[in-house]
Amino acid sequence: MQRPLSSFAFAPAVKVKLINAGFHTAADLCDLRPLQLSKESGISQQEAVEVLQTVRHDASQGAGAGSRMTALELLGREQAMGAIVTFCSALDSVLGGGMPVGKTSEVCGAPGVGKTQLCIQLAVDVQIPVCFGGLGGQAVYVDTEGSFMVQRVVDVAKAAVEHCSLLADDAEQREALKVFTVEDILSKLYLFRCHDYVELLAETYLLPDFLSQHPEVRLVVIDSIAFPFRHDFEDLSQRTRLLNGLAQQLAQMANQYNVAVVLTNQMTTKVGNGQSKLVPALGESWGHAATQRLILHWEGEQRALASGTCSLLTMLRLTHLRFRQGTLLSASAPKQTTTRLEDIWLKNNIQLF
Amino acid sequence: MDFRQLELNPRIISAAKKANLKSARDILGLSGPDLQRLTRLSMSDVQRLQAAVAVAFRKSPPVTALQLYRGECPDLEPRHRLTLGCPTLDCLMRGGIPLSGITELAGESGAGKTQIGLQLCLSVQYPQVHGGLGSGAVYICTEDAFPIKRLHQLITQQPRLRPDLPTDLLHGLCFSDNIYIEHAADLGVLQTCLSQRVPILLARGLARLVVLDSVAALFRCEFTAEESSKRARHLVALASTLQHLSHSFNAPVLCINQVTDVVEHCDASQFRCGLVESAVLPALGMAWANQLLVRLMMRRLGGVPSLGAGIGAARRLEVVYAPHLPRASCLCHIGEEGVKGVLSPDSAHIVSSHMDLYGKTEV
Repeated sequence: MQRPLSSFAFAPAVKVKLINAGFHTAADLCDLRPLQLSKESGISQQEAVEVLQTVRHDASQGAGAGSRMTALELLGREQAMGAIVTFCSALDSVLGGGMPVGKTSEVCGAPGVGKTQLCIQLAVDVQIPVCFGGLGGQAVYVDTEGSFMVQRVVDVAKAAVEHCSLLADDAEQREALKVFTVEDILSKLYLFRCHDYVELLAETYLLPDFLSQHPEVRLVVIDSIAFPFRHDFEDLSQRTRLLNGLAQQLAQMANQYNVAVVLTNQMTTKVGNGQSKLVPALGESWGHAATQRLILHWEGEQRALASGTCSLLTMLRLTHLRFRQGTLLSASAPKQTTTRLEDIWLKNNIQLF
Repeated sequence: MDFRQLELNPRIISAAKKANLKSARDILGLSGPDLQRLTRLSMSDVQRLQAAVAVAFRKSPPVTALQLYRGECPDLEPRHRLTLGCPTLDCLMRGGIPLSGITELAGESGAGKTQIGLQLCLSVQYPQVHGGLGSGAVYICTEDAFPIKRLHQLITQQPRLRPDLPTDLLHGLCFSDNIYIEHAADLGVLQTCLSQRVPILLARGLARLVVLDSVAALFRCEFTAEESSKRARHLVALASTLQHLSHSFNAPVLCINQVTDVVEHCDASQFRCGLVESAVLPALGMAWANQLLVRLMMRRLGGVPSLGAGIGAARRLEVVYAPHLPRASCLCHIGEEGVKGVLSPDSAHIVSSHMDLYGKTEV
């Protein structure tokens, strides 16, 4: 009841008039009728009706809107959400148990390094039945580049089914295998194709409805988020505002609908001091959009994955990845498991932020 | 956009109209706070507006991968590719060139890139059952004159390259009638060509392949070293025009690219994109590489072992990256009839690179 009026989602003009008229908290309004409110504050009657309805609705929700949780409860909730395991222990350990559900992760890398492959792998791995250690969920794939090839998804799905059939020991797992066939996997992967940034934004506004109609979706992949935003923009500040809004919506969606959101980003060259470095595209403010940033890069002939979050700039772990046609991607841990940030980036000419 | 079709409170609609927002693109292209400032609506009203406009704007509903696999959405997944004219090369590419997206073929001069371009211009004209698209091709030359003599030689030798095709089909097609040749010496001419003439040809179904030979030639002389960001913008704009054409008409686009030498000290392994043993890299840098769907490289090999009827040194066609292909390569020879892949005598499989990635593909 003490909630200040400025925290409600009213139009700015209405807020200003209410505050000027002396109404500061929800308690000030609860006894008024619409006609009285409209006369005292100078807003129209229609607006007064809406204001009072919102305030009363919020009051009846009780403690629901601003509920409090202890950190222990939050930790429990996070652990209960789970992660998408990739059946490849080195990769899962770099990711901290798998691709986290309920958070946004960003995968950056040069072309050809394997971002789309990793995304397709995750879209199949999220469907692995619970009795095999997976999440048994469905996947949404938003393709902005046109690089989604069903042929490749079929390869990965076949490999996953084969891998699970080799692992099946008990009756429950054998039962689960009956509904884990290549066709089942394909039928639970939803593809949204967007040709430019306006279509991508439209899909983002419609995704919450889709997710509430399909509550089994546990993964949303956007491949790639950089591609539609890197041309056509005269006004870069507009792009930054759109990207900020997008990042917030995706984070909220991940949390509210319990999905892992994975975004793919490109790399661009940044020239400075006579040297050129590779940095993730979309600017520096985008660097803080995702909870976790994974960089796929080349170490000589091998691909390596480094993961870092905003707060852990110096603690990175590396693993080498190999993609195989017939099996799930495999990885090997290199000799050193934690390396100093500066060493890796200097050697490979990459800048994380 | 017709506002009356939207399921919205009339107050929101009138606020949007007052703010001069006429089309769905105007509304969707603005962020939430921007819309709030323009329309003076509350945040929840703005969200309702965005959601309602998005519903009206969405062109096609989501599909499942199973529907794509079964061929129920031919626009998104046509389930066939454009053949390269040789079964071994098609096996390397798992069917041929994808129908939408830019395929790049890079290599040194004399490696055989134009040969592949010409061969595709012929194979596109066959009907779909024989791996073509039943339509013509647009060939845009930016550096040399179009090799008309070589094209005629290829046309006369088609029966040798494609012995599997019925002879009445081969004689019935008038190949040179269906290849439209454009010359573009600078960027401005190329933009005009791509925005005016090529869309007409594609829309009328007269052509379903665009070959740009070569893309590097236009960018390497027009921009100086300091103008690299301007060059990157033009490259991205060109790529987006080509992609738009390719996706709208399901027409493959082949861009031929040159190579640059690798300069050791400033090149990190990142720029090499895994091509560690190579002395040359495809030109135009990361800005262009980010726009491609498939990257192929053609190399001339030293030495002469002739594995069959071939003229000159052997070549190697390598897949550098593609979403659906492993890192594999294939030997090929260029003869009178065109480019033909060769299976090396010791193994019947396509050789995949020892470095990493996939296992061997079955021939």
